[in-house]
This record gives sequence, C-alpha cells and structure tokens, in this order.
Amino acid sequence: MSDAFIVDAHAHHGRPGAFFAPESEPEALLKLMDQLGIERAIGTDHVSVFEGCERTLPMLRSVFEQSGGRLHYLAVFNPKRASGCVEALKQAMNWPGFAGLKIHPSFHGVSAEDARYEPAWRFAAERDVPILTHSWSASDYNPAQQLSTPGRFEPLVGKFPKVRLVLGHAGGRGAGRHEAVRLARDYENVFLDLAGDIFCYRLVESLVDSVPVEKILFGSDAPWLDPRSRLSHVLLADVPASAKARILRENALHVYRIGAKKTC
Amino acid sequence: MADRRREVAEKLRFFDAGIWLGEPAGFPLAHELPLGRLGEALRERFLSGGLVSHWYGKVSAQDGNAVLMQAMEGCQEDVYAAWTALPLLPGESGRLPGAGSVPSKVKAARIFPKTHNFSLTSWCVGGLCEWLVSRHMPLFIWHVETDWKSVYELARTFPKLEIVVETQTQKILYHTRPVFALMCDCCNVRLELSNFAGQGFIEYAVREFGAERLIFGSFLPVNDPLVPMGMILDAKISETEKSLIAGGNLRRIVNEVTS
Repeated sequence: MSDAFIVDAHAHHGRPGAFFAPESEPEALLKLMDQLGIERAIGTDHVSVFEGCERTLPMLRSVFEQSGGRLHYLAVFNPKRASGCVEALKQAMNWPGFAGLKIHPSFHGVSAEDARYEPAWRFAAERDVPILTHSWSASDYNPAQQLSTPGRFEPLVGKFPKVRLVLGHAGGRGAGRHEAVRLARDYENVFLDLAGDIFCYRLVESLVDSVPVEKILFGSDAPWLDPRSRLSHVLLADVPASAKARILRENALHVYRIGAKKTC
Repeated sequence: MADRRREVAEKLRFFDAGIWLGEPAGFPLAHELPLGRLGEALRERFLSGGLVSHWYGKVSAQDGNAVLMQAMEGCQEDVYAAWTALPLLPGESGRLPGAGSVPSKVKAARIFPKTHNFSLTSWCVGGLCEWLVSRHMPLFIWHVETDWKSVYELARTFPKLEIVVETQTQKILYHTRPVFALMCDCCNVRLELSNFAGQGFIEYAVREFGAERLIFGSFLPVNDPLVPMGMILDAKISETEKSLIAGGNLRRIVNEVTS
C-alpha cells in the first residue's frame, strides 16, 4: 500500500444480480487495490445505482470507514424519488467519505435533460460537489442508452456551469464519444472517465489528442469490469508519463476534491 | 509500473486469436487496420503474431476467405488465417473449409450462424464439424452469433471438436452464468478473452476450469490488445498459466492443425 497512488474514479461494490461476479464485495476490491497500487476508489453499491440513495448512505459511510478511508462514495440521485434523495443527500453531505452525486438516466428511465434532475444539479451547485453520470451511445440492442447520450446533458451543463460533471464511460463506444469529446472541449465543467467496456483501440491516445488531459479520469467500473483491464490500457498507452499521472490520480483528486483531506 | 508490464508483456509473447483485416462493421469509431501497418500494430502492442480474419467473411464467406488469402500473401508476420465456414452442402462453391483444398496457412474456422442463417444443430453443421475434427482445426464462434443451448449441444455431440467461444461483439459479462456452466460441462469449449474482463474472472476461470481453457484474443483493431493483456499481466496466477493463456494454448492448437 505504501506506493499506492492511483485513484479509481468509478467503481461499485456489492453483489450484482445481472451477472455472476466472483469478486464483488468491498473486501475483494480493497485487496485488488492493494495489489495494483490503487490508493482509493470512488463509487457506489449496486442497490444505490438502481434504487437511489435513500436507504444506502449509512451503509456506504460504514464501508468507507471500514476501508480506512479508501472507498469514497457517491449518493445516487433517482429523479423518480427526488425529494427523498435530496433529504438523504442533505444528511450525508458532511459525512466522511461523501464525494458527490451520481445519476443514471438509463437505469432510472428518465432522460438526462429532464427537469426532474434539476434538484440534483442545484444541490451540487450550492455545495460545490461533482456529479458522475452514466453516459453512452445510442444502442440498437439497449434502447435505454438513448436516455444517457452525452448531448442530452448539455442544457443542464450550461445552466449550472459551476457543477463539475463527469461523463462516465466517456460517451461509450459509438457516436456518443464524439458528443462527449465536444462537451469536454466546450465546457470547462465537463470531464470524462474511462470506466466500462470502452476497450477501443488506442482510446487513451485518442482522448489525450482530443481533449485537455486534465479532463480524463481513470475509472474501472469494478466489479463489472476488472481494474486490471483498464490499468495497462493507460500505463502502456503511447502518451507522456505526465499525462498518465494526471489520468491515474491528479484529475480525480481535483474533480472530487478529495486530495487535500486525509481521510480517517 | 509501466516498465515492469512492458518487460513481462514482451516475455509472454502474446499470440492473438482475434486480429481483423477489412473495415469493421458496426463499430463507427473503429478504423480498418491497413495490411502495411499490421506488423507495426502488432509490435507496438507486444503481439508476436496470431490468427487473422477478414470482416468481409461476414458478408460473404467465400469471398471473404479469398480476400483474406490475397491480403496475407507475402505477409512476413507470424500470422495464420481463420476462414469463415458454412455448412457443407453439395454445390456450395468457392473457398470454404471442407470444400476443396485449404491452404496450409488456414488454421481455424469461424461460423456466423445468425448472420448466415443456419442452425447450429448436427444435422446442419455435422459435416463441417466432422471435417474440422479430422483436421484438428478449431471452430471459433462469437457468442452473439448463437445461443448457449446450441453451443452446449454441439460441444456434447462433437466432443473432439475444439470450440472457441469468442466474447464479442457485445460484452460477455451478462452471460457469465451460462458461460461458466458450459465451461464446467464441456471440456472441449475454450473461451477467448478480448471482453472477458469482469473483476476476478481470470483467477476464477483458471481455478475452476484450468488455464488451458483460456485463449488470448484482442479483437484488434476494434478493441485494444492492452485490455485483455492487462488482465493477464496482473493476474494472480502462475507464470506458466500466464504463458499458456497469452499464447501457449493457441500456438499448440494451431500447430496441431493438419493440412
């Protein structure tokens, strides 16, 4: 652990129902982080992702504390349960380990530009916390992804210019990537993370060429994807070492404002 | 961290089951890998060679195979061809596994039952499977081109047929329960790894099925070889197991194919 420096900016823990995951509990993630030199991770549990944060924040706080301050958590805002989520957010705002909000338009069935997300954006703006969102490209076999295409976030990105928005999965593997890159270029407050199965050839090189390097964050999407699948993708990419350092650590510390505080 | 990985990657001599020529279909951000850049692309991603396929084989098996062989003429790399196969029917003309002579460079066959509209049942593909078994030639199949029941039945009907299930063109993650059950029951099924990237999957598969059942593949140039490579480089398995998965298993299969 002594030389751990990487920050995984997009992880999960808990047992997912949709697939068999041999390693998915926080302990397994921590063990893997130790092996790979990952100092800390930012994410949520699986129940939160589907339901929202009303019931899960105390558990996430407990996981953070038991992890020695390494598993930071995001509160998932479900727009269909907006008032309950905002109340839970207000309570958790100053808890140790709280790192921001997460939204998932595809899982929650509410398009990203929908006004029902405004309470989350307002909350983030008033308290200077970031929002991580799922983003993807329109998909033939998964129509719900249409709700999370990057362009749909633009109205709220423009309306709340101080809210740092991380487009998880950088818009996915299709046309959504172009939109994500455009938003990251055009808006100071938009960032991209590398989580998920965007295993595209020379992805890291391409993004470093396309957007300012401070806009790119390393993320794994564990346990859906193993951090090892992304780590070599970054470490062995044909980009300068300084860019790798920013992607693997510094950008996440800046966006999630967790660098300055020594936790636990 | 990068230097150590580079060193191990060079040492493991990755041999890739999934190198594709031609224009990738259905991946708007992917670009064709020009043949002239193949060697450079392999070297920069620590690949020593592998099996090359052609996207055109999905449009037309025979024409795709012809285009592939033309493209590979004079190719200096340590690469072999994977031909697209069809059920063997009387009168089906053109370059196909099982129909006429097959060049010695051809070391694998791949089928697209959904795209090419045929059933994976023995009364339809039995002739092809028998031909493949007689030549020790492996059968590759994308998981999206079939269903698990059909693969299971095929594997049980032809226990000597080497079947390599490929984890493309959508992630295999949501299919882990049937995939692992299939691997448990059918020793002649192997899994290609380009999208086998769930947390702890490599260790689990090695522990439950053995390293011999896993085949390194990248799906280059749609996907980056560094992704499955990273899963192996950092896996908590022995060096021997890493070596088998990185290329030992596929090299053995390729070497056993008879012309």
